[in-house]
Amino acid sequence: MRLHTEKNLPAKASSGKRGLWRKRIRENKFAYMLMVPTIIFMMLVHLIPMLEGIWMSFLKLNQFTLGKFLKAPFVGLDNYIGLLFNSDNPVRQGLNFAVRNTAIYAVIVTIGVMIMGLMMAMLMNRDFPGRGIARTAMLLPWVVPSYVVGVLWGFMWQQNGIINYFLVDVLHLFADKPFWLMGPNTIWAIIIPTIWRGWPFLMVIFLAGLQTIPDDIYEAATIDGAHKLRQFWHITLPMLKPVIAVQLLFQIINNVYSYNIVATMFGNGAGYPGEWGDLMMTALTRQSFGYWSFGSGSAASIMLMIVMLMVVGVWYRAFRTELNAQ
Amino acid sequence: MKKTAVSIGALLMAFSVAISGCGGNNNQSSSANNGGVKEESSATAAPATPSTEPVTLNAWVMPNSPKPDADFLKTLDPYLKEHPNVTVKVTVLDWGSAWTKITTAATSGEGPDLLQLGSTWVPAIASMGGIDKVTDKVADVGGAEAFLPAIWNTTSIAGDSEVYGVPWFVDARAIYYRTDVFKQAGIDPVTAFKDWDSFKGALEAVNGQTVDGKKIAALGLPGKNDWNVVHNIFPWIWAAGGEVLTEDNKNVIFNEEKGLKGVMFYTGLAHEGLVDKSSLEKNSSQIESDFGDGKSAVIISGPWLAKNFATPKANGGMADMKAAKNFAVAPLPAGPEGQVTFVGGSELTVFSGSKNKEATWELIKYLTSDEAQKAYANVSGQLPTKLSLLESPDLDANMKAFSEATKYGRTYPAIPQWGPTETALQKHFANIWDIVAGVKGTYGEESIKKELDSAAAEVKAIINQ
Repeated sequence: MRLHTEKNLPAKASSGKRGLWRKRIRENKFAYMLMVPTIIFMMLVHLIPMLEGIWMSFLKLNQFTLGKFLKAPFVGLDNYIGLLFNSDNPVRQGLNFAVRNTAIYAVIVTIGVMIMGLMMAMLMNRDFPGRGIARTAMLLPWVVPSYVVGVLWGFMWQQNGIINYFLVDVLHLFADKPFWLMGPNTIWAIIIPTIWRGWPFLMVIFLAGLQTIPDDIYEAATIDGAHKLRQFWHITLPMLKPVIAVQLLFQIINNVYSYNIVATMFGNGAGYPGEWGDLMMTALTRQSFGYWSFGSGSAASIMLMIVMLMVVGVWYRAFRTELNAQ
Repeated sequence: MKKTAVSIGALLMAFSVAISGCGGNNNQSSSANNGGVKEESSATAAPATPSTEPVTLNAWVMPNSPKPDADFLKTLDPYLKEHPNVTVKVTVLDWGSAWTKITTAATSGEGPDLLQLGSTWVPAIASMGGIDKVTDKVADVGGAEAFLPAIWNTTSIAGDSEVYGVPWFVDARAIYYRTDVFKQAGIDPVTAFKDWDSFKGALEAVNGQTVDGKKIAALGLPGKNDWNVVHNIFPWIWAAGGEVLTEDNKNVIFNEEKGLKGVMFYTGLAHEGLVDKSSLEKNSSQIESDFGDGKSAVIISGPWLAKNFATPKANGGMADMKAAKNFAVAPLPAGPEGQVTFVGGSELTVFSGSKNKEATWELIKYLTSDEAQKAYANVSGQLPTKLSLLESPDLDANMKAFSEATKYGRTYPAIPQWGPTETALQKHFANIWDIVAGVKGTYGEESIKKELDSAAAEVKAIINQ
């Protein structure tokens, strides 16, 4: 997040005067030349498909017009209006569930992986025999491909599966074996495997963050009589705040755009995850490739993108000081 | 400055992830969108006596048999020996990603020569201009009279006389039951599958029979997490006298009284405890292996399962399972308005972007010859599509039962919008299974009717687009 080039810039660079800009470009000519291939590549793989996606959201692009692709009939904002205001629009009915589920899913998964990751990082940050092996073992869920996670947990969640065996036959938590892959419980059936797979990554990041906190701060705090909890609140958390801020954003974006685990858990993508399992990405995929309604699929994607930009804005305001402190 | 750098970084990231969500997924012309497609192998017939110009044909097929590419080439072997100038390159698509791959090909014009399509896909791809008309050529393969009518109907778009494909193989659904369990319960299989009442009576009698010290459920059926949700339910709607659409394909009627009756009977079997409810979370192949394991006495499946039961475990089959030695095949019971089953299958089409259309048609001609039809049915466990072969006396008892089933087999209206229609039905039928399982509202005519009505409203919007 910190650009090295800043050190090369004149102090008053941000004043915006043309002469200064020109001077700066001249001075950093070589650096800009190095950036050219990246810019071209980014245009090709990011900007052009994005503009194409935005254009598609204004088209009546369905199975009959797909052959014309970008020359399909232009319908202006019809796709957006249908999604937002037409209550008979079948897509909109489905999207309501997907929006609700995605919000619940993204918030719980993000909080879950951050807390689990931080706890495990603090545990692994202590010195104990076999620490190296333990750290490696902790990474295991993370290296399992998400496809495999979906299929495996899909089996485990079945009514006669291993999870109900533990919950009901061993722990006697419920009188009857609940369904996890049908009905309202589905949301837990997709949240828990995602947390299970996601936290080791956070552990690694937080572990790296913890190791940058100098030991003498803790020593000084101990001498001053601060107990462990106080040290956590007043040293560990504040020192980790920049890392936490960045990871928070990464996790929210990642989880809102989550697809693999849910899609593979429910009939290998063929099934419908249900009113409590459908996420934005599974809904959009069904919209585009199931209903062959590529125009409104794109419109929904663009709206999601706008919402995510707002999330980024809120995030930036919330963590402005941490991100700018150096 | 620092502030801008950070926010630009964050913006870029949000953009790039959003893009992989919309641009990447929706961009039909992107050639990177070929997940799940693998090119397997090719066979070259040595050009010993080059009678004509050498030609390479690309064929896209689905995993129809245990070794899809090798089995396909083996079927073609006699033809390739006779035509040493022809080389066939096989690409195996999987059903999950095939649709994306094929529509991409249809819109870009870059694709195979020979293309296998699921029977319900033909009208859609034809309406996109992805496959060639073969109307004036079908006489070469015997024309409409030579093939099973239910599957021949899907070679055209409804209301249009042009023909776009030739049926390759078919499958039908029928009942698999455990002969030993029926004997133990004292049920005569001859009368058990006569009609809905006798079927239900038989299920009640075998339900909970103790086999090898374990209680067996009467019926195994997949619920919503399956790729056949719609095919599983429609035979019951048809048998009750319901239809998907009116004859002119303009109005939706499966949610009317007769359709509801069919859905209530089928889901009622699960509601009344004749089905182990845990099976409602499973898919067709899990249900098949549960039947193999002796967890249920009856299931509904296609001819491939009989083939599976005859294949040793070492070759990926289920011959070692208990049910493999104690099963028989029976027709679906007749409903109040007749006996109906679902017939699916695949067709062979000439891709419109092909540069070797003549040679491709020759290949299709060979694949629909008696010799190739028999050979392919044998490796795939599917049924041949030609009536002469379906009536052939060399079929074994199980295949005969399925061949019998094709006679009262039906499929969906051949409308180009069938793909989206099936997606909509799948979603609402999934909700019906939630109701049956007791995790969404109360099971009853009222709740099921409501779900069927909202399915009908959605389907109506799709067919009128």
